[in-house]
Amino acid sequence: MSGAARPRASGAAIFAAFMRRDFREALTYKFSFVSSITGILLSSATFYFVAKLVPPGTPSLGPFGGDYFSFAVIGVAFASLLGMFQEGLPAVVRSAQLSGTLEALLVSPASISTILFGSSLYPLVFQLFRTALQLGVALAFFGLTLGRINGPGVLCVGALTVLCFLSVGVLSASFILVYKTGNPFSWILGTVSGLLGGVVFPVSLLPPWIRWVSSLLPVTYALDGMRKSLLASSDFAEVLPDVIALAAFDAVLLPLSLVAFRLAVRKAKKDGTLSHY
Amino acid sequence: MSERPAILAENLIKRYPVFRGFRDLLRRPFDRRTVTALDGLDLRVERGSVFCLLGPNGAGKTTLIKILATLVLPDGGRASVDGHDVARDPGPVKSAVGYAVNDERSFYWRLTGRQNLEFFGALYGLRGRARDLRIAEVLRLSGIEAAADLRFNAYSTGMRQMLAFARALLADAAILLVDEPTRSLDPQAADRIRAFLREELAGNQKKTILWATHDLGEAADHADSIAVISRGRIRLHGTAASLAGGGRPSLRRAYEQAVGESEEKA
Repeated sequence: MSGAARPRASGAAIFAAFMRRDFREALTYKFSFVSSITGILLSSATFYFVAKLVPPGTPSLGPFGGDYFSFAVIGVAFASLLGMFQEGLPAVVRSAQLSGTLEALLVSPASISTILFGSSLYPLVFQLFRTALQLGVALAFFGLTLGRINGPGVLCVGALTVLCFLSVGVLSASFILVYKTGNPFSWILGTVSGLLGGVVFPVSLLPPWIRWVSSLLPVTYALDGMRKSLLASSDFAEVLPDVIALAAFDAVLLPLSLVAFRLAVRKAKKDGTLSHY
Repeated sequence: MSERPAILAENLIKRYPVFRGFRDLLRRPFDRRTVTALDGLDLRVERGSVFCLLGPNGAGKTTLIKILATLVLPDGGRASVDGHDVARDPGPVKSAVGYAVNDERSFYWRLTGRQNLEFFGALYGLRGRARDLRIAEVLRLSGIEAAADLRFNAYSTGMRQMLAFARALLADAAILLVDEPTRSLDPQAADRIRAFLREELAGNQKKTILWATHDLGEAADHADSIAVISRGRIRLHGTAASLAGGGRPSLRRAYEQAVGESEEKA
């Protein structure tokens, strides 16, 4: 076989190998799964009781169906999922730098982008499962009230949001490849989004002097569009402003992240720091 | 000599940026200081040979290996592996080389040796029964079949190095880049590794091996060709017979002279 043409690994086979690797590793940490699921139940229960303090029909919740528990659960569940899209890629790069496996991955014939996306697949799939479970638990036990679901709205907002947050993830991974820590995208979009993006309270409650910051955050439009599509029985025209805003973010962030990633790989190879930590 | 060499480097240059503190960055923000790792290195490794790259710490051995493995981009000159330029055409280079480093951190410690090989095998395009057969073969060659289903964290240092070889052999690459394979090993484990490289990989498998080491005895006993690298350049190059024909003492004299002269020039 030496010197002969060797089979080229397909992306799907590589992704499956990453999934199998991470699942096998996860199985060796026996209590991690249990504590993760317990966290979901506790979070739903916490918002269930907090919601009793907020009377139904509170004006600021009007555009989202009026029920605080449903508002908060959708916000937390989707913000966690988006957080994983945003943080998954830089986290796996950092983890591979620290564990020392990055170099062994990068000398294989698989492309760097395949390795990066493959590495982040299991955490993403697991977070999807957690989100579905959180919504399922909220529906079954805590009275999550869904409206008439706006399918096209959910699909459009969902797809554009995923692209947007993956782009931020690629930007973050590019930063980590070169500078290793101190990822500013994570701080700006992660921390600020939690406060100003309307995750657990409506953006309309913010003082006007800071509300404009919310309009610069993709999470604001993602959660607004998703809540209107799931809770408020809205039609597509009502979520169109969110769809347009997310598409604009994608138009800027997607090409920017791809260029940044290419430059980051080149710089790290040039500086000889690709696998440093 | 007319056959295309397995590895060729011409006037290869690599300079790394020097780490600078905040104060220095504020004082001289546009100052770019570098340290030279490779300074116009020329190298030719013939197919099927065991080529030992001897040099002191910091001589440029690991930088050269990383450039050949496409992990680091050169700043000048050119290098090719199996006829493919490492900077312009890294894909075929990655398929042509097996990279065996003495870094136990490059494995997944909570997975077994076999599971590690299954994962890396997938990155090299191995699937299904072909993958399982290849893994069985490289485990047999490396002599760690019995430990294949133990978790990596239960492996001894010698077994970890053998698993690194097993991984490098997965794709059956014709060229192996081996960086200080006997570092941190006890004498018996080191001897097993040397015999494995010389007899099994070079002798039976007909691999080309670029073997970086600072162990003179290792080079004298196992290399076909030896090059002494110091301060980023090849200072001395010849067949093992010509450099170590008088045994280890003659190689030591040649090595010390070559390294000493490069230090004086610097």
